[in-house]
Formats: sequence, C-alpha cells, structure tokens
Amino acid sequence: MFEMTFHLLAASALAPDVPNLEALLRTARTSIPLQAQKPLQLPPPAKLPANERRRSSQAVRLVLACLDELERQSRQPIGALRSIFATNDGTGEVSQAMLGTLATTRAISPLVFPNSVHNAAAGYFSIAYKNYKPSTVVSQGKDSFAAGLLCALTDALTLNEPVLLICFDPAMTGPILEHLPIHQPTACAIVVTTQDTNTPALATIHAKLSCSEQPDNFPKWLPSEWEQNSAAYGFAFLGQISTEPTRPITLKLGQQALSLTRQ
Amino acid sequence: MLLNPSGIVAVSLAHCLGVGVPLLWDALIEHRSGLRPNDLEWCNLNCWIGRYPDLERAIPPTRLEKYDCRNHRLAWSALQDPLLQASLETEYTKHGTHRVALVMGTSTAGMQSIETAYKTRLTTGLWPASFSFGDVHNVEGLCQFVRDAIGLKGPSIGITSACTSSTKVFLIAQKWLTTGVADAVLVGGADSLCLSTLHGFNSLQLLSDKACRPFDQCRNGISIGEAAGFALLTREDSNVMFLGGGESSDAYHITTPDPEGSGAIQAISQALRVTGLAAKDIDYINAHGTATQFNDRAEAKALRQIFGEEDTPISSTKGTTGHTLGAAGITEAVITIEALSRQTLPPMTQLTQADSDIALNLVTKAAHARIRHAMTNNFGFGGTNCSLIFGQGI
Repeated sequence: MFEMTFHLLAASALAPDVPNLEALLRTARTSIPLQAQKPLQLPPPAKLPANERRRSSQAVRLVLACLDELERQSRQPIGALRSIFATNDGTGEVSQAMLGTLATTRAISPLVFPNSVHNAAAGYFSIAYKNYKPSTVVSQGKDSFAAGLLCALTDALTLNEPVLLICFDPAMTGPILEHLPIHQPTACAIVVTTQDTNTPALATIHAKLSCSEQPDNFPKWLPSEWEQNSAAYGFAFLGQISTEPTRPITLKLGQQALSLTRQ
Repeated sequence: MLLNPSGIVAVSLAHCLGVGVPLLWDALIEHRSGLRPNDLEWCNLNCWIGRYPDLERAIPPTRLEKYDCRNHRLAWSALQDPLLQASLETEYTKHGTHRVALVMGTSTAGMQSIETAYKTRLTTGLWPASFSFGDVHNVEGLCQFVRDAIGLKGPSIGITSACTSSTKVFLIAQKWLTTGVADAVLVGGADSLCLSTLHGFNSLQLLSDKACRPFDQCRNGISIGEAAGFALLTREDSNVMFLGGGESSDAYHITTPDPEGSGAIQAISQALRVTGLAAKDIDYINAHGTATQFNDRAEAKALRQIFGEEDTPISSTKGTTGHTLGAAGITEAVITIEALSRQTLPPMTQLTQADSDIALNLVTKAAHARIRHAMTNNFGFGGTNCSLIFGQGI
C-alpha cells in the first residue's frame, strides 16, 4: 500500500455544457444529471503561432482551451510547470483520417502524421506556453486519470515541485467510434503539490493506492455516455471532494484502486 | 527527496536479429546490421527496415489469444528470457505479485492490426470478428497483455511520448521504488512496424533508401525497426545500477528539433546534476543518432557543448537495430547496460565517413574500456527529450 497527502492548487474542467470548473461543481452539488447537449466550441488556440493554429487538431484545441481556463481562473503560471498528460486515446479524428488514407491511397499528409502521436498535444502545449519543463503522456484506457494522477503525485513528491496534470479525451469519429465510444470531448486539468505554499490550496487530499478497495460506480450526475472518457473520472473526483468532502472517492487503476479523501 | 539508485536485475530484448541480448551484442561488436531492404508483403515503400524475423513462431498461448497482434508477439518473445522470468518469480516470492509494478512504453501499440481491420471495415462494413480494439490497439492493451502473460498484479501504466516512451519508464520506476509505490518495477517497451509510421515518415521525406547511417556525411534518413524489451528494477544493489536521468521539452517545433540542441542540453545537464556526476565521469554515450540531417546535427551540437572537452566515446546503434521508435528507449538502455556490464564500447555499424560538422568521438571499432558510467539519450516528436545514466554497481 502506498499513501501520501497532497494539496490541490488549481483545477479546471471543459466539456459540452461544462464551460468551466464552477459549472461542473454546480451540477455535482445539485445532483441533477448533466445533459451535455450544447456542443463544445473549441477556438483556434491563440497562443500558438498562426501556421500551427490553423491546422491544430481537436485534441490540441481541447487541451489548450482547458489550460487557458485553468490559467484564467487560478492565476497559476502554468508555463513553468512540469506536466503529465493523461488520455484514453489522445488522437481523436487524426487516427481516423490516417487509417482512412492508409486503407485507400496511403498518401498521408506530412501535416497530419505528426498529430497522430499521443504526445502531440503535449508538444503544442510546450510551444504555446514556451514551457521547457518535461511532459510525459500516460495512457491506461478509462483509468488514465488515475494513472496520470499517480504519476503526477510521485513526481511532485520526489521532485519537490508542483505538477500539472491534464486529462483529455478528444471525441472519436467514424468507424473507430464503434470500438471506442468517446462521443464528446472532455478535459480537466489540476495542479498538485506536496509542499506547503503561499498559494491557498483548493483542498488537501489524502491518496491511498491499494489492491483491496472496490472502485466507486460511475457517478449518476455525469452522462453515462462519458464512461469511456478518462477525464470524466477527473470530473467525478472534483465533484466528490467538493460536495461530499468526508467521503473518499475510489478510482480504478488496473488491478489496484486509488482512494482520495479530502482532509 | 533524494531518488535512490535502482538495481537492474534482468534485461531482455526481441529485435531485428532475433531474440536475446547476446545475439544483438555480438552483431554490434561484429559491425553486423539487422536491417534489410523492405520485404513486407503489405508495404511497397523503397526503404530499409529492421523486421523481427521470428514473428510467425512467436504466437502467445491460447489463454492470451485475444491479445494476438504483431506488437504483442514481440513483447511475448522478449518475455521468454529465462533470467527475466526467474527474476520476476524471485520478486513475486519476496514481495507478492501486487507489489511488482509495470511501466510500458509504446508509440504506436497495435497499429498494424487496426490498419488491417479498418480496411476490412471500410470494404465490408464489418470489423473482422477476431479484432479486439481494447486488447490490441489501445496503449492499455500492451499493459494488460504483459500483466496477464506474467501474472503481475501491481500498478501498471503505459507511457506514450513518441521516441522517449520507453526511456521515461526508467524515471517513473525510480520514483515508484523510492516512494514505495512498488517494491520492484518491470519496465519495458514495444513498437512494431506498421503502415502509419512507414508512410508517415515517408511523407516527411525522412526514410532512407539504404540502411540508415547515423552521423555519416552521406546520411539521408532513418530505417524504421521494431523491437520489444524489458528491464527489471529493484531497490537492491546489482552489477549495473540505474542512477537517474533528466528530461525536458524543446518548445520549438512538433517534428524538428531545436537546431541549437537546447532541449537536449537541458535533459543531459539535468541527468548529470541529479546523479551528482560531471561530464568527465561519463565513459560512454549511446546517442539517439537517427541519421536524419537535422536530428544528428542538433544532437551533436548538444553533445559537443557538454562533452566536447572530454572527448567521450559515443555511438548510435541504430545502424544495427533501426529506429525502433517507442521501443528505442528500452533497446538502447539495454545496449548501454550491456556496455557497462561487459566494459566494452559498442561501435557504429553503418558509418563510412563521419560528417565533419558532427565532430564527435564516434566509436568505430569495438574496444574494451573502463566504463564507470554510461548515458543513453532519446529525443522525439513533440520536442520530448530524455537522458538516462547507468553506473557500475557491486
């Protein structure tokens, strides 16, 4: 068993009908199921150079929009943070386009191919924010938020610095959707630290990794069609610590479970 | 928190020459390459590749049938190493299967399987009945396959940071061992040939029409290879130790490295700093050395800036293995570990005439040498950089 305590310094959320963290927490508090009917508009990322901005993929726009929101509401200087990117499948429509081309002409665009790597969004984040700190991309299916959080926490603990975790799921398209039902884009971002800082923390949280706990069911206030979205488990975590601070939330992580309890 | 050195208990590799570290090491020492003109039935590009020759024989048992794909056959081959299996059993006995963690790196996972299945889906309207997306295509599928194959029950994660994917696994393992997330960590990587990378790199005009020639004046691109490998790390002393590493982001361009090599310099400098070593303490460097014009020039600039005065012996071993992308980290870490273990410098394979602009002390002939510490570097798309340092243990 592994245990530690950390501070949550900032958080943001982005999804259809979830323009920011406050909207997410409002839904969690009312327990009225989120409808998620309003399509998420993802603007071209203003922080990228014009040539990159025009051809940015859905994943890149989703990540940078979520981080813009984080920076706006938290005043965290995220351009200087090391980062963990977590995703079920971080490529979205790019994989679909690549597979379609490979099944026919095989004439892949040199502009599309670089966006097919899972760390494309992380690379564009570093360019947009001129951030030279490392980023690592973690993928563990729908457990990716828990996997990313474990990596962010052990980074924060061993390196004594705050760590940015962003969990994102671009919407899938076409035939791949039949296998990976991610119908809508979702993203959440948090900043964690184990150090006492001058910045007031949103929450202090105890984390416990074990093989004995049973993971919680997917919350009823989130759309059931988000069950494959790894970021939805980040939403569940943020909702739980906000609405029921004394009750732990337990997230599945492979054959283990990560329990998180607000202190 | 001080990160503790981790003992390397066992390593294994499946590569374009076959299965086993000794097979690859002998080829390196004898300047033999595993690269060949592209003979894939399903791809007709004019390039050279590092194809795993034993794919047809590397079929996982029936209980793992749902995972069967090119990438997992490579991983399965590498898992058959007797020392690795015995060492895993020892760790299970000591700590329990739930205290042994898994950190796997891959860039394209089971991409070749979905490419084939997708074509069927477009043609017939149906996915092949045997195709299981989550088990073969997702990054998670690789972790599940390895877990099920060896009965490991500790925490597991997949890392997918392009060509540093299976380099970064060592850094995560060291943190998990230091903080107590696990008592032993199996790290590894697997990446296999697929249309996406072959045609993708072809679209960028980065595929060589010959066997790749890292740091050569006539270099003209990469040769894509495939490989899988593992290293078992514990808190105990071993004859080779993982000492630590550094990482950074270029923040420059999605495919082209910063021409000044500044991201690489940061990663290498951090690796030296965290291990308390100076440039003069590094006795061998396994370079990323992909054989593209830009990559080799930027890397050489970074290496010259830090190691120029030391004349440190450097080689890129991709002339033998090809660029195994998401498996490059584990492949080259294992070669670096072997160099330390055997106290021998592995030479370049395809070098004819070193690029005069490179100006590095390239190893052209295998030689016994005193190697106290050795470094391996990988850099990738997205401007990701990672540098690892290994040292002699007990």
